[in-house]
Amino acid sequence: MKDKTNNAIMPEVKSRPLFATLLAIFLGVSSLALICGAIYTQFRPIGILPKTDTTILIAALISGSILAVIANGIWNLKDWAQTSITALFMLVLIYIAVTIFLDVSAKIFSGEHVVPLSEIVGILGKGLVDLLLKGSIPALILYGLSKISYSFVQNAQQRNVVDRSIRYVLIITALTSVFIVLLIIFFTFENSLLAINEIGVGNMLIGTIWRPGVAGANGAVGQFGMLPLIAGSVLATFGAVLFGVPLSIGTAILLTEVAPKSFVNVIRPSIQLLAGIPSVVYGLFGMVVLAPIIRNVEIPYNSGFGILNASIILAVMILPTITEIAEDAIRAVPRDFKEASLALGSTHWQTIVHVILPSARSGLIAAVILGIGRALGETMAVIMVIGNSIAIPKPLTDNPLTIFLSTARTLTGNIAVEINYATDVHRSALFFTGLLLFLMIFLVNQLARYLMRERK
Amino acid sequence: VNQVETDTIIKQKNSSIFMENNLKSRHAVEKIGYSFLWLAGFITVALLVWIVGYVMVQGLKVVNLEFLTTRPAGGVSGEGGISTTIVTTLYLVLLTIGIAAPLGIGAAIYLVEYAGEMERESKIIAFLIKLARMGVETLSGVPSIIFGLFGFALFVSAMKLKFSLLSAGLSGAALVLPVIIRTSEEALLTVPMSYREGSLGLGATKWQTTWNVVIPAALPGIVTGIVLSVGRIIAETAIFWVTLGGSYRLPTSLLSSGRTMALHVYSLASETRAFDKAMGTAAILIITIVLLNLIINFISRKFNERTTGKQ
Repeated sequence: MKDKTNNAIMPEVKSRPLFATLLAIFLGVSSLALICGAIYTQFRPIGILPKTDTTILIAALISGSILAVIANGIWNLKDWAQTSITALFMLVLIYIAVTIFLDVSAKIFSGEHVVPLSEIVGILGKGLVDLLLKGSIPALILYGLSKISYSFVQNAQQRNVVDRSIRYVLIITALTSVFIVLLIIFFTFENSLLAINEIGVGNMLIGTIWRPGVAGANGAVGQFGMLPLIAGSVLATFGAVLFGVPLSIGTAILLTEVAPKSFVNVIRPSIQLLAGIPSVVYGLFGMVVLAPIIRNVEIPYNSGFGILNASIILAVMILPTITEIAEDAIRAVPRDFKEASLALGSTHWQTIVHVILPSARSGLIAAVILGIGRALGETMAVIMVIGNSIAIPKPLTDNPLTIFLSTARTLTGNIAVEINYATDVHRSALFFTGLLLFLMIFLVNQLARYLMRERK
Repeated sequence: VNQVETDTIIKQKNSSIFMENNLKSRHAVEKIGYSFLWLAGFITVALLVWIVGYVMVQGLKVVNLEFLTTRPAGGVSGEGGISTTIVTTLYLVLLTIGIAAPLGIGAAIYLVEYAGEMERESKIIAFLIKLARMGVETLSGVPSIIFGLFGFALFVSAMKLKFSLLSAGLSGAALVLPVIIRTSEEALLTVPMSYREGSLGLGATKWQTTWNVVIPAALPGIVTGIVLSVGRIIAETAIFWVTLGGSYRLPTSLLSSGRTMALHVYSLASETRAFDKAMGTAAILIITIVLLNLIINFISRKFNERTTGKQ
């Protein structure tokens, strides 16, 4: 309001470019058309335009008046008008691009029959033409606006309002993650209340039989002892640590201290790639390649699927995590330590063993702990290779090591396998498993963070 | 005196012999040690080559145009291609990034650019900022099946969105949010203080400085974070297993169920035992991930060149 009177008294010094005039007139006319059209069709539908209902009328009135305000802003060369119109047409452009992109991809991949290559090219070309036709108007307007952006002015008051209000928007985005954490805790807890009340925390934690059975029809409650699952999780994770930790810590030392740069440039991207490979691909590899190999061990009931298979797969999966953090920890050791040790006459190897590793110790432990956290939380790959039997794993023969050949099921796997059909107490018990996992991994991560902070 | 002298001589001799032995054993230990390190590195690379090589060789046998452009036949047959799963993955990536990127980048901007001065202004805000930092830390450690359970409880059941793209997208956004926040924060921190001072000194407001100076300078790092999240979404299975349903048909709206490529691999392998088709899908997944990694490397190299001023 204040701006308006100011302008009336004191006309802008800057002359208005032709493009801004045209744009303002265009926006003004379209806002007028929107408002008048909506009101007119409210009383008397014409031809293609049906009678508008109240919500559409209100929406049209509101958007019409917003357009009118923006048109006025453009006419008076206000910066906010330029910003909002740019944002508007950006959105329109993105919308057009995304819809055409989705349309094209849906056409190519719709999948009822094989699409020949020539047709794909045709669809792509058509999509491109479509994009050019539909996108040209907003693109041209955006281009024009950017060309004349110098003539728009922004007053101090407006700048300050933007500057202050943006803080509140940003702090809300910053708090989203806390909000999500609270929601996770609330929902898993709320859903596990039934199990906690009906079965009891103690019974679930130390019960040795997990048998959901037929839920509730005649009051028969299944058994929900989690010990088999906990044992499965612990054994698989232990195996993963056994294989994974020497490998990854060794690789980390090699990369930071020993290997020549050309070699590092090969290994580091491969580790990055290992981290990115989907867990199901590891699971598939375990099913197709590792299981037959493990099956070669001649022991009764050895199916190839089981804790050993899961441990190997998990070891590969936690390898990038541990290597990366261990590398950081080793690199964080001050250069002076290393130089002092070398200057005292110790060899490079002695320096590594007696100086660098001890001073990076807490970081290395943190790396291992985070690796354990990852292994505990991994789900799909483990389901695919561990066999998923819900008995407590036990050695297949007299040799206690054969426990690793036994099938098992992990806490995470149990959730994924059963959640889609579980009801009532069973479902609630699964949520309790989730809560347990959440707490366990939260503690593990806190411990790792504490160690990493100590280092600094 | 003589006695003492001989003693020292003997001692020296002993110690030199001892030294020699020590040196020898040292060399032996060092050799074993170094070879262990090289072995570890070699095994790591060999594992990668083995896994990726096997999947690619076996997988690319079934990949052809028909495989890519027809939809899975459904049921337990394991026949058909993977076209609809490619499209569903694409939809889900767009949806998830569309939700998570603005939130994550906004949060990172607040934590890096504003948090310092706001903390000094009021105690409540200082507390909120501490809370926000803790939230990001906690969230980044949560295993994906928990996000799945959460999405299942909140979006699928409580909000009655059913198994749908929207439920999956919202749960997936929770997964990648900390990734985007972390990488964007790091990117913003690499922007030299002098940029901000220069802009502020010219009379720009805080927000103008952030929008026109800091964000453009940090953009490659922010984009890296987004590409990283795309990779996470493509690779994710557990969340979508409990929130996306698993229909092999093309999703028609935000509320329809679907199946991503990773989910398809799981379904094929564990429900139909169609390992050849699963390998084919896995090969496409790996190719996608490799491409994403190349993009990330390319961007970060450019970014490093720019920030360090090397050409």
